[in-house]
Amino acid sequence: MSSLDLSQRPILASHARLQIDSVSGDPVLLFPEGLLVLNATAHEIVRRCNGKISIAELIRQLTEEFDASEEVLRSDILENLDQLRQRNLIILSK
Amino acid sequence: MKRRPYVLLAELTYGCPLHCPYCSNPVSSPAEVELDTGEWNRVFQEAARLGVLHVGLSGGEPLLRRDLPEIISAAHDSGLYTNLITSGLGLDFARARQLRASGLDSIQISFQADEAVIGDSIAGARAHHHKIDAAAAVTQAGLPLSLNVVLHRHNIERLPAIFSLAESLGAQRLELANVQFYGWAWLNRKSLLPSRDQAQAAFALAQSAKERLAGRMEVIYVLPDYFEERPKPCMQGWGERYLTVNPIGQVLPCPNATSIPGLQFENVRQQSLENIWNESESFNRFRGEEWMPLPCRECPERHVDFGGCRCQAALLTGDPSATDPVCSLSPHHLMLQNTVREETSDLDASSWSARQNPAR
Repeated sequence: MSSLDLSQRPILASHARLQIDSVSGDPVLLFPEGLLVLNATAHEIVRRCNGKISIAELIRQLTEEFDASEEVLRSDILENLDQLRQRNLIILSK
Repeated sequence: MKRRPYVLLAELTYGCPLHCPYCSNPVSSPAEVELDTGEWNRVFQEAARLGVLHVGLSGGEPLLRRDLPEIISAAHDSGLYTNLITSGLGLDFARARQLRASGLDSIQISFQADEAVIGDSIAGARAHHHKIDAAAAVTQAGLPLSLNVVLHRHNIERLPAIFSLAESLGAQRLELANVQFYGWAWLNRKSLLPSRDQAQAAFALAQSAKERLAGRMEVIYVLPDYFEERPKPCMQGWGERYLTVNPIGQVLPCPNATSIPGLQFENVRQQSLENIWNESESFNRFRGEEWMPLPCRECPERHVDFGGCRCQAALLTGDPSATDPVCSLSPHHLMLQNTVREETSDLDASSWSARQNPAR
């Protein structure tokens, strides 16, 4: 799986758009010819993919927000980011 | 949960500068007045309220609409993700930038081949070099670029060069769509159908390119379904997720649905989209499982493929309720296989009818 470097800063790809589905109220990530319905964790991750904060900082913020163990959250976050990267929905920069 | 559409295909015009022999537009397009800007605006608002998230702005050639920036704004303001599906002819940097400013999210440009001689002969126009310029204008304007190439007998062996072209143009996505036989392609099937060998070689090439390009460019490969043993899950089920509004306002469960004999289609000029989606006979005709014949009705895979494609069943068997003949369980499967063998015995037998374009 992941060869993610925690100092990298994820940013949403230019063709991807995050919005709230007005019918279901779910957060959805839209991209050409497709969409992902996001769960709460994925939504919080994607919201922070703005190119300004590092993966490490993202993990710190979510640990605080969800009041969860960093161990568990870290692997969840890395897996989410890795999947988004493989689908070309985020770009990682230094 | 309530049934809702996710994707709207908005066919803005039947007009087009190209003459591709596999065009998905009807073979004889009705000479009625196209929906105007205000009518499209209403369609987008109604679609968004129904649950639509994506709109594909298509045609014909949507760039022929002078009000395209207003149409894009209307779709964007309704909250829809907007994708322009274009030949690229008529698209330069200034126009690309204008469309982006109007709220366009992405552009898909069609290519007929990787190079001009084959490409222009398929398009029936000097188009290839314009497409190269248009693709550059799209990325220069900061818009995400997808390429779409319809594959058939005359270009399917060009796949390696097609991958190089897509990479060199900076495409984020490459859609390789084996030609599906409806409309113009149905008329020209004998000169478009690839051989089984061609199809298998292309599949292997697409698989390896998918892996090689992962993380850089998304490669989508639409199978040539005549060579399959199970039908495609056409439209993810009739009237389940997709709707098409054609240039004259008819609302269709699939873009080719007007080819099905005996179906009448409602028009956004007379009814709301919501009413048509929920109540119309055409949208309810093949919903669910009631309509299914055997073997579909008792097949465990009916939830996977929904019995296949209704337009294909109608064309190949004369009965739109029949099991899609692509399925090996269909009583018409052997007939289809024999037809494929006969029609690909001589790959050089190739004259096609170029699409005649309607006046606007």
